[in-house]
Amino acid sequence: MSDRRTLPRVRYLLLHAYGRGGTIRTVMNQANSLVAAGWDVEIVSAIRRRDDIQFPLDPRVRISTVVDLREDAYTPPSGLMARWRDRHRGRLLDEPPRYIPAGEFGYRYFNRYVEDRLIAYLGALTDGILVTTRPALNFLAAEHATNGVVRIAQEHMNHGTHKRDVQKRIQETYPRFDAVAVLTERDRDEYEELLPGTRVVRIPNAVHSLDQVPASPQAKIAVAAGRLFPQKGFDMLIPAWAKLVETFPEWQLRIYGSGEKKAELRTLIEEHHLYNHVFLMGHTDRLDDELAKASFYVLSSRFEGLPMVMIEAMSHALPVVSFDCPTGPADVLTHGVDGLLVPPEDPDALADSMAKLMADEKLRADMGVAAVLTASSYGPDAVHPRWEALFTDLHGQRHPSGAAAKGQRA
Amino acid sequence: MKPHAEIAEVWPRDGRIRLVGRLHGLPSNDAAGTAVTWQLVLTRRAHPDQRLRYDAHLTGDRFEGELPVADLAAADHAAVEEWDIHLSDGETELRAGRRLDDIRGKKKIFVYPEQRTGNIGVRPYYTVKDNLSLECRTGGAA
Repeated sequence: MSDRRTLPRVRYLLLHAYGRGGTIRTVMNQANSLVAAGWDVEIVSAIRRRDDIQFPLDPRVRISTVVDLREDAYTPPSGLMARWRDRHRGRLLDEPPRYIPAGEFGYRYFNRYVEDRLIAYLGALTDGILVTTRPALNFLAAEHATNGVVRIAQEHMNHGTHKRDVQKRIQETYPRFDAVAVLTERDRDEYEELLPGTRVVRIPNAVHSLDQVPASPQAKIAVAAGRLFPQKGFDMLIPAWAKLVETFPEWQLRIYGSGEKKAELRTLIEEHHLYNHVFLMGHTDRLDDELAKASFYVLSSRFEGLPMVMIEAMSHALPVVSFDCPTGPADVLTHGVDGLLVPPEDPDALADSMAKLMADEKLRADMGVAAVLTASSYGPDAVHPRWEALFTDLHGQRHPSGAAAKGQRA
Repeated sequence: MKPHAEIAEVWPRDGRIRLVGRLHGLPSNDAAGTAVTWQLVLTRRAHPDQRLRYDAHLTGDRFEGELPVADLAAADHAAVEEWDIHLSDGETELRAGRRLDDIRGKKKIFVYPEQRTGNIGVRPYYTVKDNLSLECRTGGAA
């Protein structure tokens, strides 16, 4: 424990720590592992719209919010000055941000008020390590967290997915970071080429646990999971299943997740008369249990960063049928060994590959065993020491004496 | 568990609703009884004396039956009417439902298309107790 004082505080800045997205989940996993290893960890939520954190978080991890947007967090102003300030706040909340390009997928969460408050927050930081977790936050940190903080930009999405205006800002601002952390080999190559001289590291996200109940290859259930949103490609998966239903009438496809496109997907299910075979399961708090009931996992995404639920499914001994989309599936899967890679956005090919697994229980069993082995390199014990090493190294470069002292003690 | 009619498939198509499933929990000679005719029985929840009956086809314990949705139009139709579904051999009445699988919260997960008859929209649905009923709504879609 005496070691703790020598470790710098690590702050993760998330857009919305109270949400349910994959980035949030993996950052919480990182925070849990680091705090368990003795680090001082804080999660900073740029905005807050919910009361509760949605994922398990070690109580030793500090959590704070920059802009609380919950209804009951708002206190009506009293007094002239307060009313003026409140009107000003209201105006700024309605104004678009100045520094976030419109192509940033999180653009709609930003406005002048949120931006101003974040800039003030970042400018006031003078120590420790700051990890920012999406382009908009990275841009603000690059320009404004300039008072001695060690800065790391995390990229949870692949580079090619970003809109042109975001790519341009990345090229302009990311060289100011001490390190840019990406998830896949392909992204490391692309960012290294884009940012000559900037340290680019590839550290995959970790699954929350490798100690999982293995699924049975006998089950006649395929599972998919993700936000009901065009990115996830469920609009291609459903027609693909329609081609299989006559040959495999006893099989079910279960799609977990909630989202904006639920009604459209429901319509697609009805058009293809799949209401007895394809189910929109909604959000579940027990995805582990649900994965363990299936006998393979399907990934129909148009793009990904590194699809973590797919790797979690593999840790349950589920083989995978996946579009070979940018990025992630090809990094993780070995075609024919732990899963089947399918030409991207090709529903017919997706159907053919699913049929291959559905027709062959032994193939599912063999690939499932291989999948567990693959998943093991994404376990917390394999991944988190790499973060610790990076933080220690960067902090040591910035504060050579502190690192030397720590080195002597070690 | 009380005997019931376990629904496997619901097919609301072409103006009809076809149901496929298995009689569950009956002594085997009852279910497979050769001379007995099983019927699909619809009971109007607001007027339990009002019933619609359709012959079901039985193979072993597997049943199949269907009804035209046009039969659900009633002169005194309220804005929302429910019809509860049973399988019956004249003596035993088995509630239709889906109780043998692992899925919780079926009402929101097993969602079926609506079919129109006159100005009524008919949609099969699972109750909070996982029983199968039909909902009839007058006017616009639900």
